[in-house]
Amino acid sequence: MNIQEIAKKEHEEKLKLASEDRQYYADKMKEFGLKPMDRFLKYLPNPSTNMKKGITFAHKDFEIITKAMANKEPWAVVSGLNPSGPLHFGHKQVFDELLWMQQQGADVYIPITNDESYVVDKAKSLAESRRIAYEQVIPSIIAMGFNPKKTHIFVDSDYLDIYNVAMDVSKKTTLNKAFKIFGFNQTEKEENPGTMFYRSAVQIAQILLPQYPEFGGPKPVVVPVGIDQHPYIVLSRDVALKKSFIPPAELVMRFLPGLKGPGTKMSASVVGSSIYLTDSIEVAKQKIEKAYTGGSVSAEFQRKHGGVPEICPIFLLLKYHFLNKEQSDKLYLEYKGGKILNRELKERAFEYVSKYLKKHQTEMKKAKRKIDKFILKKEIKSILRE
Amino acid sequence: MILKELLSQKGLIMQSPKAEEIKEGVKFVDKPIKIFYGETYDEYGNTLDSMKYYFFVDNIAQSLKQEGYETDPIIMVADIAACRNVSPHLHKKYMDLGQERVKFIEKIKKIYNLNLRIIKMSDYIEKKEFQEKIKKVEDICKKDPSLMKMVEKTVPESKIELERKKGFAYSFDEITTILNLNIKIGPPRENLYDNIAREIAKREKSKPLISIYLTPAFPLGVDYDFFIAHEGIEEHGITAYKAGSKRLQSFRIIIGKTTKVEAKKLIEKSFLSANPKLPNPVLDVGIISEMARKRLEGEDTPITLYDNFYNGRISPKKLKESIYNSLCTNILNKLQ
Repeated sequence: MNIQEIAKKEHEEKLKLASEDRQYYADKMKEFGLKPMDRFLKYLPNPSTNMKKGITFAHKDFEIITKAMANKEPWAVVSGLNPSGPLHFGHKQVFDELLWMQQQGADVYIPITNDESYVVDKAKSLAESRRIAYEQVIPSIIAMGFNPKKTHIFVDSDYLDIYNVAMDVSKKTTLNKAFKIFGFNQTEKEENPGTMFYRSAVQIAQILLPQYPEFGGPKPVVVPVGIDQHPYIVLSRDVALKKSFIPPAELVMRFLPGLKGPGTKMSASVVGSSIYLTDSIEVAKQKIEKAYTGGSVSAEFQRKHGGVPEICPIFLLLKYHFLNKEQSDKLYLEYKGGKILNRELKERAFEYVSKYLKKHQTEMKKAKRKIDKFILKKEIKSILRE
Repeated sequence: MILKELLSQKGLIMQSPKAEEIKEGVKFVDKPIKIFYGETYDEYGNTLDSMKYYFFVDNIAQSLKQEGYETDPIIMVADIAACRNVSPHLHKKYMDLGQERVKFIEKIKKIYNLNLRIIKMSDYIEKKEFQEKIKKVEDICKKDPSLMKMVEKTVPESKIELERKKGFAYSFDEITTILNLNIKIGPPRENLYDNIAREIAKREKSKPLISIYLTPAFPLGVDYDFFIAHEGIEEHGITAYKAGSKRLQSFRIIIGKTTKVEAKKLIEKSFLSANPKLPNPVLDVGIISEMARKRLEGEDTPITLYDNFYNGRISPKKLKESIYNSLCTNILNKLQ
């Protein structure tokens, strides 16, 4: 095959991947009974940029949140993360959404799930994941500009009350139900019991925590998730009803693919798949240069037939983090129309990324001094009273 | 105001044939041209939203008259239809409410000097002529599955079985009532009945009904969250003439019941967006109040409130203030 034939084949494969990606999300939305965000885009006075760009694309019951927003009633958002390494741009998109929610009045709860990191073998020890949480993850979150009065961060292994809450919620479900919802089979039976306790009790406890009396009782809560995390919401909604809480709403986001291309995740376990917010400028540059793109091996072919922005991690990095809707739409057309080639796209991305990293890392240094202001210390006594 | 200007008023007209098409459509009909608006009611009172239709029926009759047409503007109070929606022990109460609605319209007619003929459904429904007509309509529809499907669509899916048992009496009353009219004014959801009437007219080779739909009514005093949660409300709104439509009676201006203080609160707390594609209940109050003012002052010009707001000539705050003042001066003070 000559270069043009290789380029043609590659382009067709990329178009197919883009089409499969669209179909995957459409099918999952239907399967899970999720609704699109169009009504929120129409009516919200100030929808989030992620909503405008279609990154936050579906929901379940988000109406309960907009009702609280419009009436200035208390509401909360819960979004946890695994401290198996520093934060990367895949994490940042979720925190951008949380920041928007905080600006709209939400109390933000961020469980740092170092217990999960340990039980699912993402960290060598609880101690290691705890250290990463305090040294890298929490300062990075604070550096993004959260308000300490409305942000409640806790590291699971240090906030032991979460396990009492987990015991409390676990009485409202069954292993049978959890197995069914998560679709567990023989493989999961080989996992350690901690994994199961985490998934079917601790995670639900984190989601329902803001509705315990210590935090003002039942209130609308939303959880931003990737579409594969839907089962957790199903289980927590079921438990919420049994506890006379409000079933939590779900906001579904498309996640930034790893730099290795479609189907890959930004993950600490895959070298070069993600740009960490703690990466040096040089490292970030190398990662961008080596990244997969939606373009072609032949510049001539790409000029003629265009790129496939939908599956290009570099285009998506720009779209998700640095461009507004209009800029992103313009770049999409330019890249799809062959007016922009991979080199230029990567140069643009590097320019934005390097500026962001410099600023973020400066803020992180300052943030380390503020950690205590953000840590949740409230004791949960209501479930211990007779 | 010439017909073309009347029909081009944004924020008031939802859908209408062009002025020329209307004039063409009424060219060879029996004189006078029957212009019709019919409404039911409930126990919660007379809505401000109904007044939009009373004013408009008078407006269009005047426009056609100015252009040389003889008109018969009719407001029909559907007392029998109102009773069909409530349990039998409430029939007497609802018939009395119908009489009260007639009195209310008489009052509006007098204060605003409207030329309207008010009739009640009970005045004609038992007459032999109407009963024969209804039988004929039922026969035509029952013989044609496509027409029956259209009849079924006039009732909400949840009530289909109940209505089937009643033989779709409410729907057939409505279709028969509008069959020989010339111009019908109504909210957009009435296209379900109007289309059937037009289909029957086509088969009977008679002049088809001309429909003009005014903008739907929306609740006041609710914010964007209400509209987000009510999918499809943009198309049909709530029932203009039933104050308790969707149990939102506390979010409507009910003439003689809603105080000025309450009206002010409702307007102040209402959703108001600069996007003309979204519902604008505040502007609706403003347009009705403007229609009232123009009748009181004998002014015969198009309403410009829509353009003034959406072109940014008036701020949301100012719009709410001026509309409240206009509502008080031109409607609430006159009717309380």
